[in-house]
Parts: sequence; structure tokens; C-alpha cells
Amino acid sequence: MKRYFAVLLGVLTAIGGFVDIGDLVTDAQVGARFGWSLTWVILVGIGGICVFAEMAGRIAAVSHRATFDLVRERLGPRVGMLNLVGSILVTLLTFIAEIGGVALALQLVGSVSHVLIVPFVAVAVWLVLWRAKFSSIENVLGLMGLALLVFAVALWQLGPDWNEVVHQLKPTSNPGGESWQTYAYFGVALFGAAMTPYEVFFFSSGGVEERWTRKDLGVMRANVFIGFPLGGLIALAIVGCAAAVYLPQGIAVETLGQVGLPVAVGVGKIGLAIVVVGFFAATFGAACETGLSVGYSLAQYYGFQWGKFVRPKEAARFHAIVLLATVLAAGVLVTGVDPIMVTEVSVVFSAIALPLTYLPILVIANDPDYLGEHRNGPVANALGLVYLVIVVIASVAAIPLMIATSTGQG
Amino acid sequence: MPDYDMGLHLLDRQIVGADDRLVAKVDDVELTRGDDGSLTPTAILVGAPALLPRMGDRMGGWLMRMFRLTREAAADRDLPLLIGMDLVDRVESEVRLTVPGHGRLQRMDRVRADDRTRCRVGQILGTPVVCDRLPRRSKVLDLRMLGTPGGAGPHRVTSLIVGPDRPGALLGYDRRSEPGPAPVAAFVQWLHRHARVVELGRGVEIDLDAGEVRIGPEASLLPLRG
Repeated sequence: MKRYFAVLLGVLTAIGGFVDIGDLVTDAQVGARFGWSLTWVILVGIGGICVFAEMAGRIAAVSHRATFDLVRERLGPRVGMLNLVGSILVTLLTFIAEIGGVALALQLVGSVSHVLIVPFVAVAVWLVLWRAKFSSIENVLGLMGLALLVFAVALWQLGPDWNEVVHQLKPTSNPGGESWQTYAYFGVALFGAAMTPYEVFFFSSGGVEERWTRKDLGVMRANVFIGFPLGGLIALAIVGCAAAVYLPQGIAVETLGQVGLPVAVGVGKIGLAIVVVGFFAATFGAACETGLSVGYSLAQYYGFQWGKFVRPKEAARFHAIVLLATVLAAGVLVTGVDPIMVTEVSVVFSAIALPLTYLPILVIANDPDYLGEHRNGPVANALGLVYLVIVVIASVAAIPLMIATSTGQG
Repeated sequence: MPDYDMGLHLLDRQIVGADDRLVAKVDDVELTRGDDGSLTPTAILVGAPALLPRMGDRMGGWLMRMFRLTREAAADRDLPLLIGMDLVDRVESEVRLTVPGHGRLQRMDRVRADDRTRCRVGQILGTPVVCDRLPRRSKVLDLRMLGTPGGAGPHRVTSLIVGPDRPGALLGYDRRSEPGPAPVAAFVQWLHRHARVVELGRGVEIDLDAGEVRIGPEASLLPLRG
């Protein structure tokens, strides 16, 4: 019974924790401008994160090694350092965006400028990262994140023309009449948001934090192969809601309030209240994940003690880095920079950093020194290789598309 | 792990104490030259003074200068921390110590740092190789070892892996025939098709002062795989 409960809890928290500020903003923007025509990218992205998260989780369970440990071993100190700098910058950008997202969610409730809320959010995030148990952070915020399922209810209530939806699912439908360069740019951004590197840093480090063993492989796979795709349904529901409300009016999504507005239209005030809780949980949870991921990456590159599975004083350098990152993120946000703009930039830079994260995972997942009998089979290798090619294409295309479209302005 | 390659299996691995505490990464390894010319690993080196020189001649030198500037008054700023190789219990996907990690790292003393019989693996890796039978711009890619850290019996460098310096050497596909994503493995093997193993001994001279390894006609070059 305890085992089934663990599986259920893991799946539910995986669903609730799947979406972060990058998904919320990008999905809504894509729905408003491209309707359902980029759905295939979301599906490809969900497939990719499932393939690589399963490998990273398997490595963590069998060899007790997290992703960044492997990056330096397999790429060497020089390329590993390059990867570290890139990953830290992207994860920090995402951390800034998530803290800004929490402040924006609270602004929806309190009507106080998000800039004034940011310092309080930063202190709250840091206190949670310092004092709260790892499993409590994951479970409480993951379960609260299930509130975002209200997007699915809202989509149903909005009652879009399903024949039109099916028509828009065709990648070439382009219902918003956008240029193909802009279409490709948002495709890369969606892919980057779905496969952002911090997700595997956090997932694999979480496995080490929770002391996964070979016995936990089944639960881990259930989280990945059931939880992540169901979490992806929330992403699709956000796209659908934005497509139903904004696409016919030609309105672009530029604020977090606009992301949640279709829920108010479809479900009313109660729906709006639920979606704000969902925004808070998703962004606060992701802020904790990204804050920890900054510490994980640095500690795993240099090899010093990390994690919440030891007392904070035993991992003092790790906690000092997390504190520093939180202060830095708050410092950037109180300058008045728009968190939505930071989010847009972070998802594109995520796409650029993807290959250097995923290649070492694929290689180690084949290494019998680490995985013994649990190393990749032919299916995992074939999928890993296909996704590696996609990841490289997205990475190479990101910057030229960003310049050509003036960050998606068209 | 019967025999192993220094770069592939030991450098950059996580060091874990007997108390399960994470200690550091293997940033470099100290080798000591015996009277017979053999090279024996004697200590694991840790910290920025061990890691930064491995970032390449130009970049590593610049980073080390910057690192010294952060505390110019310190006389030991360029000296790494070390753990004796005798404290290593075993090497798996991590390096396990026989003792708890807490307080185990000690600063290398100046006499030891200046000892001409000692050198670092990082100094040998990447050293240009002069040999008529190898492509130009060949370098030392790795050190092949006899024995294991913490194991019984001799533990020393037996041969050098030499060849053109191309990416992917640390992925391991150039020297194993294990299953993997076949196209990646085939590509890495093709990149390293000119890499060879040369046994230390007659005809092989490691001259760190001149910054080169000379391989004479009497030394035999063996293929890396098989």
C-alpha cells in the first residue's frame, strides 16, 4: 500500500510540478499567436524530457551520481567549465524569472507592484530552501500545482470549435498568419521551455537527495512516463485556452494576468482564484528547483558537499551559493526588469545550452561502469540519439532565429 | 577495474570519504618518478591550483595569475591540497577513501612542490609528441596504468596513449567496444583512428622541461583498441 501511495504521490507531484513560468508564458503566447499549430513541438518536447529524465534518474538511482558530476567527467574540465558557465547563466535567468513569476502571481491578488513584493518572495524562497525538507518542498508545492488543471476545465467550459482545433493541429495551418521565421522561433522557445536543463539537474540531484536505489526505478519511471506527459496536458490546456480567447481577437499575451484570464472567462471567479494558487505553486516550486539547481551545478562541478540530505552546516558552501543566487535574483528584479521578458530570454537560452547537458547523460547511460545491467537498451539509445539530433538543431537555430525575428516580434 | 586509464577513470571523479561525505573532485594526480624511471601515482591533488593549470596553457596560466591576485600576500596560493594515494580504498564511479573526509585535505608543502622527481598528470596530458610515425600535432591523450588505487600489487604508469588531440576522448568509445549509441561510438572511434598506445621504456622520453615527449624508432606503437 505504501508503495502505491509513493507512486501516486510521485505522479501527482510530477504533474503539478511540470509547468513553470517558462511554460506558462510561452504556452499562452504560442496559443494566442499560433493556435494549436505548435502542439507537435510540445509533444516532441515532452517526449524528450521523458527520455533524458529517465536516463538521468536511472543513473542517479543506480550509481548515486547526479548530472553535473557526469558533465565534468565526460567532457573534461575545460568544456565542463564552459557548460557550467552556460548552465548557471541559464538557470539563474530562470530563477530570476520564477521569483518574478511568484511576485506577479501575488500582484494579481494584492494589486501591489511586483517590484515591492520581490524582496519578500526572495526571503521566503531562501527560508524554504534553507529550512524545509526536500520532500516537503516537492510534495506540497507539487500537489498545490495541480490547481493548474483548472486550465483543462476552463478549456472545456470555453467550448472551442473542436473541428477548428483539429484543423489547427496541422503544423502548417498557421491560423495567426505569422511568418515562418517567427513560427520557428516560438517552436525553439517551446522546446527549450519543455526541456530546460535545470529539470534534469534537479531531477537527478533529487534522486540522490532522496537516496534512490535500484528498487526505486519503477517509481521513478512512473513519475517520468505517467507524471510528465499528464503534466504536459496542462501545457496543452494553456495553449488551448489562449487560442480560444485571444487568437480570434488577435491579442498578444504580455502579462501573467493575461495567461490566467481565459480561466476567468471559462470558469468565473472561483476559477481565477484557483489559477492564481496554481501560478503561485508552479512558480514558487520552480523557484526552489532552480535555486537549488544553481547550487547543485556548482557543487557537483567542484565536488564539494551539496544537498539537503545533510544538515545545512555540513553543506555550508552549497547553502551560501543558494543564498547568493537568491540575493542576485532579487537584486535584478528590483531594478524593475520585466519578469516576462526575462522568461522569454531564458527559454531561448535554455535551447542553446541543451546539447552539452544531454550528450553526457546519453553516454553515461551506456556505461557499464556506472549502470551495469541497467545501461541503455536499443530503444533508449535510438530515442536518445534522435533527440540529440533535435536538440543540436534547436541549439544551433536559436540565436539566428532570435536575431531574425527580434525575439519573436515578427 | 583491473588496469585503467588515468584521464578516463580517475581524473575529475568525485572523492567520497568513508563517512559518505563528499570531499572534492580529483582535480589532478601527483606522479613520482622512481630511480628506474617508473612513474607512480602518489597523491590526489585538489583545489584551484590543481584544476586551473589543466584549463590549457594560455587560459590556465591566465586563470592561475588571476587566482593568485585574489590573495597576493599568501605564500602558498599556488599550492594545491592533497590526499595521499594510500588513503584511497577503491575507485568505482567515485573515489572512495579509507578514512572520513572531514579535515583530510592538507596543503602541499613548498619542498614537495619543488621536488624535481614529482610531476602532475595534467603536465603530461596534452604534451606534444615528436614521432615520425604519428600524425603531426599529436599529443599525449591519456596515461595507461597498471594496478589500481588501493589495490594490492604495483601501481604505476605503463604506457601513454598518443595521437591527434580531437574531441570525445573522454567519452571512452575510442578504447572500448561496449554497446552505446552506435553512430556516436563510430564517430568518436573514427576521430581517434590515429591514436596509439606506446609503452614507457626504451625509445620513449618524457621531457617536461622541453615540453615534449619523444618517441624513437625502437618504441612500438600499438593500436588503441584490440
